[in-house]
Amino acid sequence: MYKALLCWRYLKTRYLAMACIISVMLGVATLIVVNSVMNGFSTKLREKLHTVLSDIVIESTGMEGFADPAGKMDMIRDDPFLGPKVAGMTASMEVFAILQFYYPSGDRATRPVRMIGIDEQTRGDIGGFKKHLILQKGKDTISFEPPPHVRDFFERQERQLIEKQARDALETADPNLPPPPAPPPSRVKVPCGAFVGNLIASYRMKRPTVGDDGKDYDEQYVLEQGHPIFLTTLSGGGDRMDPRNDRFIVVDFFKSEMSEYDSNYVYVPLSYLQKLRSMEDRVTSIQIKLHSYQDADVVAERLQRMFPGPLLRVSTWEQKQGPLLEAIKIEKGILNVLLFLIIAVAGFGILAIFSMIVTEKTRDIGILKALGAGNSGILKIFLGYGLSLGIVGAVFGTGLGITITVYLNEISDWLAARTGQKIFDPIVYYFDKIPTDLQPSMVALVNVGAVLIAVMFSVLPALRAARLHPVRALRYE
Amino acid sequence: MLLRAASLAKTYYKNKLAVPVLRGVDLDVDEGEFLSVIGASGSGKSTLLHLLGTLDKADSGTIHLDGRRIDNLPARDRDVLRNRTFGFIFQFYHLLPELTALENVLMPLMITYSTLGYWARRGALRKRAEAILDRVGLSHRLKHQPAELSGGEMQRAAIARALISQPRVLLADEPTGNLDTANGQQIMAVLRELNRNDGLTIVMVTHNLDLVHDTDRVVRIADGRIEPEAKIPAPTFDAVGAGK
Repeated sequence: MYKALLCWRYLKTRYLAMACIISVMLGVATLIVVNSVMNGFSTKLREKLHTVLSDIVIESTGMEGFADPAGKMDMIRDDPFLGPKVAGMTASMEVFAILQFYYPSGDRATRPVRMIGIDEQTRGDIGGFKKHLILQKGKDTISFEPPPHVRDFFERQERQLIEKQARDALETADPNLPPPPAPPPSRVKVPCGAFVGNLIASYRMKRPTVGDDGKDYDEQYVLEQGHPIFLTTLSGGGDRMDPRNDRFIVVDFFKSEMSEYDSNYVYVPLSYLQKLRSMEDRVTSIQIKLHSYQDADVVAERLQRMFPGPLLRVSTWEQKQGPLLEAIKIEKGILNVLLFLIIAVAGFGILAIFSMIVTEKTRDIGILKALGAGNSGILKIFLGYGLSLGIVGAVFGTGLGITITVYLNEISDWLAARTGQKIFDPIVYYFDKIPTDLQPSMVALVNVGAVLIAVMFSVLPALRAARLHPVRALRYE
Repeated sequence: MLLRAASLAKTYYKNKLAVPVLRGVDLDVDEGEFLSVIGASGSGKSTLLHLLGTLDKADSGTIHLDGRRIDNLPARDRDVLRNRTFGFIFQFYHLLPELTALENVLMPLMITYSTLGYWARRGALRKRAEAILDRVGLSHRLKHQPAELSGGEMQRAAIARALISQPRVLLADEPTGNLDTANGQQIMAVLRELNRNDGLTIVMVTHNLDLVHDTDRVVRIADGRIEPEAKIPAPTFDAVGAGK
C-alpha cells in the first residue's frame, strides 16, 4: 500500500520525473511515427509494385519472346496442381520503342519508352491494372477503342486525305491517257489506341506557393486524349531486324504513381503489336494471378520445372523487385536499431534522474526502514516508480505518436507553408502523400520496449536505495 | 525485564580509522519504565538507541526482548519488530514530506498490512490514526503536510506515528532537541502521560539534563560504557540555561 502511495506522490511532486516522462514520451512517439512511415512506405510500395506486376511472371529472356502463349496457358490451366490455384492469366509483349509526338507549340518530342502489348480482354484483371487508367477508372473492361468524337475526327481526316489524293490524281493525270482504273475503295483506317504513361503525357509545373490542395505543382498535359503519337520499334522475326513504326491515338493515361512505370510505359493492343513486329502468336511474357499469393513460391517452382531451360524465366513479383524490397527492409531494421538507441539514451537519462531522486529521498528511505519497511519494499517503490514513469511516458508518447502519424501530411504541409522548406517532395517519391501504416502490434511492441527500458534503467538506483543503511540514511543531510 | 542489552560493542570506521562508539554496554529496561540515557554529543547514545531498535547491528553483544534474542534475527523479522514492537521518534521528526500528517501516521500500518488488507480495514485504521492525532492535540492538522506544521506539531505527529502500531517500547532520540522550551515541555508532558496512563515503556536519549529529572531512571553513557545509576542534580536555572 505504502509503495503505491509513495510512488504516486513522488510522481506528482517530482518535476524532475517529468524529464523522464518526456524523454520516454518523445522516444515512443518518434518510434511510432518513424515505424508508421516506414511501414506505410513499404506497404504502399509493395501494393503499387504488386498492382503493376502480377503475382507470377513467366518471361522470355530474349526479345524474340516465345511462341504459342495460348497453348502454354492451357497447359497451366489443365495442370491438376496449378489449375485450381490460378485465378487469371494474360500474355503480353514488351519491347523498347521510340515515341514521338508534337508539343502544343509544334516542337517535336522524341523519347525512348517501353512499349507493351497487352490483351485488353484479360490484362485488366491481373494486378490492379484497371485502377491505374485515369479515364477508364471504374469501368468493368478496358478498351483501346478511341471515343466516338476522336474516331470521327480521325475518320474525317483520313477520308479528306483519301479524297485529296484522288483529286490530286485526277488533276495530275495526263488528259491524253485513258483514265486510270478507279482505285480500289479505300478503307478508312483509324489509328490504333494507346495508353500512355502519365508522366510521359504530363509534366509538373512548380507553383510559387503551396496551394490549398497541399501540392506545389500543377500537372500540365502535353498529350491529351485524341492526340496522335508515333511509335517506332523493331521487327521481331528473321535474322535482320528492321524498324517498324505506326501512328497511335492517345486514348487513356496510365498512372500508377510509380514514376519508373509512369514515365516509361506505353500500352498498345497485343494483337496489333504482334502484327506490327511480324511476330504473330509470339509474346514475351505471361502474367499469372493467383487466388492466394501464399502459393506463389510453390507455383513458381512448379512452373519453372514445367518450362525449363534458359529461354523462359519464372519469378514472383517479389523476386522481380527483390533488391528494392530488401533495401526497404534493411533500412527499416537499421532505423529501428538507431531509434532504440535513442530510447536507450532516454534510459540513461532515467538512470541519472533516478539516482538523483534516490539521493534526494535518502532520508525518507531511512525513515521507512525505521518504520519497518523491508529492503524489498523500498526496491519495489523505486521499481514501481520507474514502471509508472515508463507507462505514463509510453501512454503520452503513444498518444503523441498516433496524433502525429494521423495528421502527418497536414503537419508536413503546415511546416512547408511556414518555413517554405518542402519536407516531403512527391516528385522524389512514388507517392503524392506521405504514406503511413499504423500497426497495432508495432505500437504495442514499442510500448512494451519503452516500459521495459524504463524499468531496466531504474533497477540500479532502486537497488542502491534498497541497500541503503537505515542509520546512515537517517543521518543523511 | 522487557529489554536487556549485554556487552554491546560498536565501532564506526571513518576512512579506515576505527572510532569505537560503544565498548561493552549493559542495559536493562523494565516494562513500563521511563528511562533516560544522557551523555555528551558523540558519546554513543543514539547508536545505543539504534541498536536497541534493531536499526543497526552491534559488532558484538546481545539484545533480548522478553528473553528472546532479537539482534541476530533475520532482516525480515527485524523489520517486523521495528514495525510493531518499537516506536521511534527523532530529533528532526523525520516525517515524509510528500504525505499529510494523517498519512504519515498511517504509514506504519500501511507497511504492516498488504494492500488488500489495508484497503479492507482502511476505515477503522483511519479512525485509529485520527484518535491518536487527537490525543497528541493535532486533530485540526490532519490534512496538512509537514512543511505546513510547526516544529512542535511535527514532533507530535511523529509521536502519533510511533504509537499507531501500539508498540511495546518507544525509543526517543532527543525528542525535544530541536524545539524551544515551551514546545519541548509539551512534548515531554505527552511522553510522561503516555508512560503513566498507558504504561508505555520509553527509552529516551538526550543531552538536556533539564528533561530527565521527571523520568523514572537515568543512566549516563560515557566513553562507550554505561555509568551505573547516574546521580542527576536537581534542575537549576543554570541547567535550564545550559540545556538551551
